[in-house]
Parts: sequence; structure tokens; C-alpha cells
Amino acid sequence: MSAVLAHVAALAPPCIEVERLGVRFGALSVIEDLSITIRQHEFVSLLGPSGCGKSTLLRIIAGLIPAASGTVRLGGQPNAAALRLSIMFQKPLLLPWRTALENVLLPLEIEREGGKTSSLDVARAERIVARVRLQGFEGAYPHQLSGGMQQRVALARALISDPEVLLLDEPFGALDEMTRDALNQELLRIWRSENARLKTVVMVTHSIQEAVSMSDRIVVLAARPARLRQAVDVSLPHPRDCDSAEFSRIQGRVRQLVRSEA
Amino acid sequence: MRIPAWIVSPAFILLALLAWELVVRALNVPAYLLPPPSSIFASMERSLLVHLAVTLGEALAGFLLASVLAFLAALAFVRSPTLERGLFPLAVTLKTTPLVAIAPLLVLWMGTGWSSKIAAAALICFFPVLVNAVKGLKAADAEYYELFRAMKASRRQEFRKLRIPFCLPYLYSALKISSSLAIVGAIVGEFVGATQGLGYLIMISSSHLETDALFSAIFAAALAGIAVFQLLGWIEQRVVFWQSVEAE
Repeated sequence: MSAVLAHVAALAPPCIEVERLGVRFGALSVIEDLSITIRQHEFVSLLGPSGCGKSTLLRIIAGLIPAASGTVRLGGQPNAAALRLSIMFQKPLLLPWRTALENVLLPLEIEREGGKTSSLDVARAERIVARVRLQGFEGAYPHQLSGGMQQRVALARALISDPEVLLLDEPFGALDEMTRDALNQELLRIWRSENARLKTVVMVTHSIQEAVSMSDRIVVLAARPARLRQAVDVSLPHPRDCDSAEFSRIQGRVRQLVRSEA
Repeated sequence: MRIPAWIVSPAFILLALLAWELVVRALNVPAYLLPPPSSIFASMERSLLVHLAVTLGEALAGFLLASVLAFLAALAFVRSPTLERGLFPLAVTLKTTPLVAIAPLLVLWMGTGWSSKIAAAALICFFPVLVNAVKGLKAADAEYYELFRAMKASRRQEFRKLRIPFCLPYLYSALKISSSLAIVGAIVGEFVGATQGLGYLIMISSSHLETDALFSAIFAAALAGIAVFQLLGWIEQRVVFWQSVEAE
């Protein structure tokens, strides 16, 4: 089953193509000669020592930072507008004067000319709020919600524009382990659900276990300047058993790769 | 029995007034130096209300004028760093020049009527609003701007949905400060040349050694300042409920 999935993924058209990417902040070379192809329906984790340029790579894919050299193609096009794309950060970045539901509606308000959202939009926001299991908290303000709930609102906000690509910068990194595991499971559930348009997820993480339990492929980056160290395929079926021998074997291999870099 | 919180502050004020009354009477302090509170309250006439209204009106007009101008200036500064670099030193100069030094000029230019007082009140209110509005408009984390750019928000949307709401608590703290400053500005303007207002009353009664009338004007000014400050604080909790920031 997993072998079949991996096979399908290898045949899927490329979604994000990074080719010979170079990024400099002044004299400092942050990313050098980095090439990665991420295919549709792939869940890819970016792993590497802190400060290695993972977040920078994510921002370049999102079109927030320009590349100094090389190209980034999304859906075969050279600009970020070709695909619907959402980004989510470690901080929830909610607007404190808006309720949870109003925060979720923000991307639609920005998208709609004139800023007016329809009752259809509201109904959709309510559905997505329910999907991240926040029913009953639609009218709550961010300061009334726990950190985990705030991050659920942020996830709902990232999902409401029905993105094809979801970019996650350590999305649950600031949360306690139990909350993080629960949110990771829900993220997987949403990614795997049939009716979502969401195809591709790129997640920056510090946690090897998180990377192995979530992704199809783990891209380990070398530090300063970031280069591709190695990509590790994870062809375990979901839901993954963290205690299985295969899981431990992959986890050990990734840990070795990361250690040799740190 | 617990004492209700709202009663504490008025009770202390009453105690202080009582002590003042007793000490002045016991030591036989001459009334032109320090009149007892009883004769201050006795000296209060209906005309005090007119003077108070004039000063408050001037202060309010100056405060509103300065708030609007300072906020517009802050918007321009945030849009154009060049403008900020060029004009901010001018704003600082304006702030560091004492109002008492400028007030005679204002009266010279605009006469002894209300316009020079409004200008004085506006001058003293302008800077705190400007500084805090600029700070507030830049207050959101850098990641908020990335989020908005990733949502493909226009510059206008970024201002309306992110920067301005983020600025409101800062603006509000600045307004609380300027509201009391505005009364000071109007009174200073009236010192220089006026025919009515609390500042005029203070000048006249001090030169006539009517110390009780002088004190009644001071009391009125202080009460008005406290009332406006409290009112703004009460509104703040309802408008910018999500946070309060300390103004500069």
C-alpha cells in the first residue's frame, strides 16, 4: 500500500521546483545552490540545525523574499501567483480585536474587492472552524483562547482560502507536546481528506519525530549556507506507529544526518 | 466590613480638605496667602462655570485639531520614511520649545480671542499623539506584515485591517495624556491675553490678591482634567478592550 502511494507520488507532476537557489543577506550567504522538487500530494518536512535557512526557504517559496540566484517555480510557473498558497507561522498572529470567526474570515475579506464577505463565506468559515474542532468558540477573542486553540484558529485561517499549497513554519513548535501531537494529527487528517483542494504541504520543523510521523519525505539541510544534505523517503502508512521498528530505524537515520550537520 | 473601592479616593480628598481647613484656622494663616477651603467654595460664583466652559471648549477644540493633524502626519510618516526623517526633528523642536515662549506669539498673531488658545492647546497636544501614533502604526510584529503579504493584501488593506487597529491602543494612551495637556495649553494661552477663561480668572484674581477666587479656578481646572481623564479611561476599556499600552 505504502509502496503504491510512493509510486504515485513519484509520478505526480511537480508542484514546487527549486533550482540552484541562492540567497544572500548582505555579505552573508544564507542558501547556496539548493535544488528541491516537491510533487503534488507530497508532505515534505524541512529539517536542519537552527539558523540553517529553513524558514528563509519557506519564505522564498511563498514569494516573501526574493531569490538572489536560481529559480523557484510553482505549478510550473515562475511566479507565486500560479498556485493558491497559505502560510502559517509559529506564532498564531491573530488580530486581537477580531473574534475567532472574524480572524478566520480575514483572507476572504482581503480577497474580495470591497472587503465584504457574504453569508456563504461565513458559512464556510463556520465549517472550517468546526473542522479544526473549535465549534462553540466562534465568538471568542484570541485573549480568551489557549495557545493551542489560537493556533487552531490560525490553521483555519490558512485553510479558508482553500489553498493548494500549505507552508508551515514550525506551526505547533511553541505548544506543549500533547497539544502539538493532537494538532499534527488533525493537520494530517485534513491533508488526507478527499474533499480538500490541499495537495502539498511543506513544513519546517525542529522535531525529528514530528517529521517522521508526518511526512512523505524529509529534506535534511546542511547549515550555513543551507544546501541539500539528503532527502529521506518515509513510506510508512498512516496512521504511523511511533513505536514500530521501521519508524525507529528511519528516525535514527534522520537523527544521524542532522547530527552530522549540527 | 470592606470599604468599597470607589469611596476611597473621594474620602481621602475630603480628609485632606478638612485638615487644610483646620490647620489654616488654627494657625490663623492670612486669607490672601492660603484661604480655607470653606471660603474658596463660598467664593465660587456662576461666572466660574462660564470661565470653565470657555477653557474646556478651547481645550477640546485644540485637542481634536491636534489629534486629527497628528494622526494624519503619522500616517504620512509611516508611508514615507523620507518625510519622517525630514520632519520629525521639526516636531521635536516644537515639542522642546516651551509653550509659554510661543504663546505670546500666538496671541500676537491671532489676537486675544479663542483661536490663539485653541492653537496653544493644539500645539501642546500634537507631539504626544504624533509619537504614539507613529509607534502604534509600526507596532505589529514583522510576521504580521508577511502574513498580510502572503494573503496578497494591498497597502490600503494593510493599513485599514492591520496598522490602524494596532495603533488604536497607542493612540488612545496618547489621547489620555493630551486631554490633560490641552487644558494646560488653553490656560497658558489665556495667561498671555484673554477676556475670559480659567487662565484669565487666575491672572486677574492673583493680581487683585483674591486668593480664594484664584483657588476656585485652580480647583475647577484640576477637576475638569480629572473628569476628562476618567471619561477617556472608561471609554478606552470599551473601545480598545484587547490591550492597553503605556504612552510615551
